[in-house]
Amino acid sequence: MSTLSARSLIRFLFVACLTISSAVAQESKTVIGPSNPELHDGANALLAGDAEEGVRLTLLGLKYESSSRDRLAAMSNLCAGYIMLDELVTALSYCDQVLEQNEYHWRAYSNRALAYVKLERYEEAEQDLQKAESLASNARTVKIVRSMLLDATDPVAPHIIIDERRQPVEDDDE
Amino acid sequence: MTNSQTSLLTAVLLFVTAFVIADDETVVEYLQADTGIRVPLQTVVPQYPEKARRVRVEGEVEVCFNVSRDGRTKRVAVRRSTNRVFEKPSRDAVRRSTYKPLPKGKELSGIKTCRTFRFYLSPVAIETPYD
Repeated sequence: MSTLSARSLIRFLFVACLTISSAVAQESKTVIGPSNPELHDGANALLAGDAEEGVRLTLLGLKYESSSRDRLAAMSNLCAGYIMLDELVTALSYCDQVLEQNEYHWRAYSNRALAYVKLERYEEAEQDLQKAESLASNARTVKIVRSMLLDATDPVAPHIIIDERRQPVEDDDE
Repeated sequence: MTNSQTSLLTAVLLFVTAFVIADDETVVEYLQADTGIRVPLQTVVPQYPEKARRVRVEGEVEVCFNVSRDGRTKRVAVRRSTNRVFEKPSRDAVRRSTYKPLPKGKELSGIKTCRTFRFYLSPVAIETPYD
């Protein structure tokens, strides 16, 4: 694996984990709780980077009765989990389901944009990112996905010039 | 390409005295003064801040400092900068840089040396793998 692709993978996992983390933190009242321990454990497994176990538990949790908000959070987590597993088409279907029920779910837009970037569907990624940015302009995960899209469509290399040709200045502080 | 970019490129081509690759990605050009009182020994290259690279921010920082008799940099301060994100890496790079010690008998002058760091991003060509 090349350095670049390894770095992309790490970045990608980082973004996915952060997205899940935020979801659990903000929606803890409904996602975490004794009423559906599978969803809770599934989210924690995803947070720990165990995508396979996270997806398995979340799918299991969805079989039990849960509130519509819980189900939405679970599907959003499934979208992130399947991105971590690189099953991008499946991930897209879960993100689509979330957005069909809640068109203001910025995490789903952000995750779907990430999936589109990985699938090299850059125009759709751009559209989703614009929506995510309009809903959560300061979200770190959205910014990272934006940079991944930019890296894919407009790659750049850092260039630094060290210029010491300027005339020295009198030390007037002394 | 804008006029200022063209001018910058021309200046770079005229004055480049050293051209090194710092790591996998960063290209470094070192434009050294030919009339410098103190001779650089080790010039540390700042890292392009990832935060700035991500959002495609470019900038310039001028750092001025004193050089001690034994060649260490002292009283490092930013004199001018276009974006604060570049200031810390520039200051840190100067602090870690050294100059050749002043020969015996030479007097330590009270003038500051200034170093300008220009951070910019150039487009890269992508190679398509065929295997």
